[in-house]
Amino acid sequence: MAATPLGEFEHQLLLVVLRLGAGAGGLEIARELETRADRRVSRGALYTTLDRLEDKGLVRWTVAPGSPARQGLPRRVYSVTPHGVAALRTSRETLRRLWRGLEGILKEPTS
Amino acid sequence: MSRPPRLARWLLERTLPRGVRGDTILGDLIEDLETRARDRSGWWCWRQTLSLASRYGWRRLRGLDRRHPVQKEKRPMLLDSLWQDVRHAARSLAKAPTFTAVVLVTLALGIGASTAIFSLVNGILLRPLPYPEPDRLVYLNEIRPDGSQMSVSWPNFVDWRARQHSFDALALSRTESMTLTGVDHPERLRGRRITGNFFDVIGVRASVGRLFGEAEDRADTPAEAIVSHAFWQDHLGGDRSVIGRAITLDGTSYSIVGVLPAGFRYLGRDYDVFVPVGLWLANNPYLLDRGNHTGFFGMGRLRPGVSLAAARSEMRAIGASLQREYPKTNTNVNVRATPLAAQLVSNVRLTLLVLFGAVGCLLLIACVNVANLLVARGAARQHELSVRAALGGGRGRLVGQLLVESSLVSVAGGALGLLVGSGLLRLLVAVAPDGTPRLDEVALDGRAILFALTASIVCGLVFGAFPALQASGAHGQQALVRTRASGSSAGSHRLRRGLMVVEVALALVLLAGAGLMVRTMQRLTAVDAGFRPDHLLTMRFMLSGPQWRDDTRRAAFLDQVLDRVRSVPSVTDAALADSLPIDGSNWNSIFVVRDKPVPPRALLPSAAFTPVSASYREAMGMRLLNGRFFDATDTATSPKTIVVNETLATRLWPGEDPVGKLLKQGWPESPTPWRQVVGVVNDVKFDGVTEATPLQVYLPMAQEPSDGPALVVRTAGPPAAVRSGIEAAVHGLNADLPLYGAQTMDDMLASSFARQRMSMIVLVVFAGVALTLAAVGLYGVVSHGVTERTHEIGVRMALGAGERHVLGLVVRQGLVTTLAGTAIGLGGALALSRSIQGLLFGVTATDPLTFAAVAVMLLGVTIVACYLPARRAARVDPTEALRSE
Repeated sequence: MAATPLGEFEHQLLLVVLRLGAGAGGLEIARELETRADRRVSRGALYTTLDRLEDKGLVRWTVAPGSPARQGLPRRVYSVTPHGVAALRTSRETLRRLWRGLEGILKEPTS
Repeated sequence: MSRPPRLARWLLERTLPRGVRGDTILGDLIEDLETRARDRSGWWCWRQTLSLASRYGWRRLRGLDRRHPVQKEKRPMLLDSLWQDVRHAARSLAKAPTFTAVVLVTLALGIGASTAIFSLVNGILLRPLPYPEPDRLVYLNEIRPDGSQMSVSWPNFVDWRARQHSFDALALSRTESMTLTGVDHPERLRGRRITGNFFDVIGVRASVGRLFGEAEDRADTPAEAIVSHAFWQDHLGGDRSVIGRAITLDGTSYSIVGVLPAGFRYLGRDYDVFVPVGLWLANNPYLLDRGNHTGFFGMGRLRPGVSLAAARSEMRAIGASLQREYPKTNTNVNVRATPLAAQLVSNVRLTLLVLFGAVGCLLLIACVNVANLLVARGAARQHELSVRAALGGGRGRLVGQLLVESSLVSVAGGALGLLVGSGLLRLLVAVAPDGTPRLDEVALDGRAILFALTASIVCGLVFGAFPALQASGAHGQQALVRTRASGSSAGSHRLRRGLMVVEVALALVLLAGAGLMVRTMQRLTAVDAGFRPDHLLTMRFMLSGPQWRDDTRRAAFLDQVLDRVRSVPSVTDAALADSLPIDGSNWNSIFVVRDKPVPPRALLPSAAFTPVSASYREAMGMRLLNGRFFDATDTATSPKTIVVNETLATRLWPGEDPVGKLLKQGWPESPTPWRQVVGVVNDVKFDGVTEATPLQVYLPMAQEPSDGPALVVRTAGPPAAVRSGIEAAVHGLNADLPLYGAQTMDDMLASSFARQRMSMIVLVVFAGVALTLAAVGLYGVVSHGVTERTHEIGVRMALGAGERHVLGLVVRQGLVTTLAGTAIGLGGALALSRSIQGLLFGVTATDPLTFAAVAVMLLGVTIVACYLPARRAARVDPTEALRSE
């Protein structure tokens, strides 16, 4: 499957899910976004974007049983599919190409 | 830690995808809420709920949920066409921005105002008390046949308790201020003296330690106290090991046995400390006198299955048998039983219901106005509708579409109304009278939101119904044949005028209510209170504890206080009094006079007894009518003297000179001394300004030194400014003396009619809005009529009708509408006037002057509203008007 172009929020979500590993529930994703990206996101936007990533085949999820703290309601744990990882790679490669040669202006080393 | 509000959860369960997808999202939300601070979580939760509901709800409604393809196929036609209607309505509303804005503002005002008032009524009247099974709690006191309320005498209570079968248990309690000493800053505490079972009856458990039991009712009970959660936090550092620690109240050491749960209040008040009644019985043997009603009030919990009516009749029967057994003390004394919740709100209930009625009127006016606008719009759109009907649009579909349009605009208006309502509610809470019970429980909660939603949907259907039926009545071809210029049918015009009649009538009802309240406030502020309230500052202190038991010591100290206070800059005079005017009497007692026959016990006169310092009359600005006021010759050892008020003098000694007569406080056989009348002063309002002045007896403070006097200070400048100077002067004498309740006399007067003022403000604002809406509505109708009749007017003028004739023609038409509305409104206002009677003062609920004034005002405003379009009609150029045909 050809790499789908990623939106900025989709991009951030994929990175966060990847970063959280086995602990990527909806709640944890929201918190990680808040602490790492300083981004407060409405729950409506969060879950519909995750749905979209799922439609694109970039994430998938499994169901974990609920705890009393959530009144026994089940929990979804997300993970990034190989397609998702590929999309991230492509996106990073594209960005790298675009960054290259701009070190002088931005006064920052690119890798 | 908190959980989502029920309404939010309900909304989510209906909008999120079904099955595990929705469940997991809801679970995340619940878990997130659990860890959030309670104070901000409600708002956060609603934001997230709305963001989820709007995104997922829309998909589910449209059947776009990709995970439920089956649903899409099954999607009913109705939903599809509804969605189409909503979109069509939104488009057509957006095309008429002025119309939409006017309708939205009208609705936002109507729904906002009613939501705010509903929140008040809901928080104060409807929400149950925060105790288990609050419906079973009953408030008990004693009452005379003339309706005067009394507290409960202890021996009567003991008999009630022994004889009754309707209640699980009966408790007794009284309010008592206590002074906390032995701490850095001595303080007045709000205390309550209670029987041991008081908290059992209410159904409250201790959060730390224990509560009282039956042992605390006995005279040999140890000195124990229960403290409130707030007191425990603020004074005892929230320390759980506080049980057994001692606090000093009124000079006696109490050991703390328990702490109440946070937020406990009784009859809407916070209390700091509770102490048992047993201790008091031991020190105050006069409590055991059946004739003494000493400030105790009863409370009982009905046995399961026993009705209030049954309990009432049983208590009355017990009261009646006590009357027979103890005729000396109990003649004419009966028992009164009211639900505890009703007792709590008894004094604000009427105000709230009147305001609720008024806001109902306002909402109706808003609806009628919007209906009027919609009818006009429907008439203007008749051509469009006819075309659609002719092209095969079903009648039901057209009606449905118009209803959707009106519902859409009303729901949007309702949403705006919620914003208006929350602002208005804040304003209402700010102007609410001090001491309004449960004011802190008032909030724009889920119930209020539901109310606003229901109100707006009902509004949408009600005011959408007229134009929908109206517009759908026209048959396709008929309307198509008529040209656009000929405009709407006569039927729509009749309907609009009918709606105007209703609107004018409702506006008149509101105006009449507002007028009556304005007159009431005029009367209240014009009442002669009998003293000069300006430049007076009052505050109280308490001389409690064993060191103050000695009368001579108290009297000497009070003299010193007055000397010190008089030397404070800007103070021109100072006095002491046991009770203050307006504030109510602290000491009411029956009395006998020497030179008249003693009436039967039940008919003995009662007066407000007030010990005052010699400087009191001049400091207050009262007039001496006869004899003299107290002076330096009235000392603890001189003959006992009193001064009486005019009412007492004329009641007891009509046509005689009261000076020199003898009077005794108490029963005929009481060992109290005879006191000689030395002077008569003018009447002073004692219980607010609306209550009749009681019989008053003033005693010299030197002979009856008060232990909880009020300080009255007359100042040269603003009275509030000397407060700190006075506090410093008194604390210079005794640093342990807490001064409290500082208030200017003007403020005290103002707060005594705060209830009426709040009603007046709200009613005047509502009536103003109603009048404006009615005037605008009438202007619209008349002006529309003029446009329609341009041709006719042109013909008339061409045939020789003058400007005056045309002017009269148009104004007359508007006037007929207004007169019909005014007549109906007057009838309605008269019928409703009885309900507002209890709020009025100095004016009857059917005051002809007020009614005439508001009717004239309404007519005046409507004549202006009719005159403007009429002038336009009179300037019609006949040739122009005829050429346009």
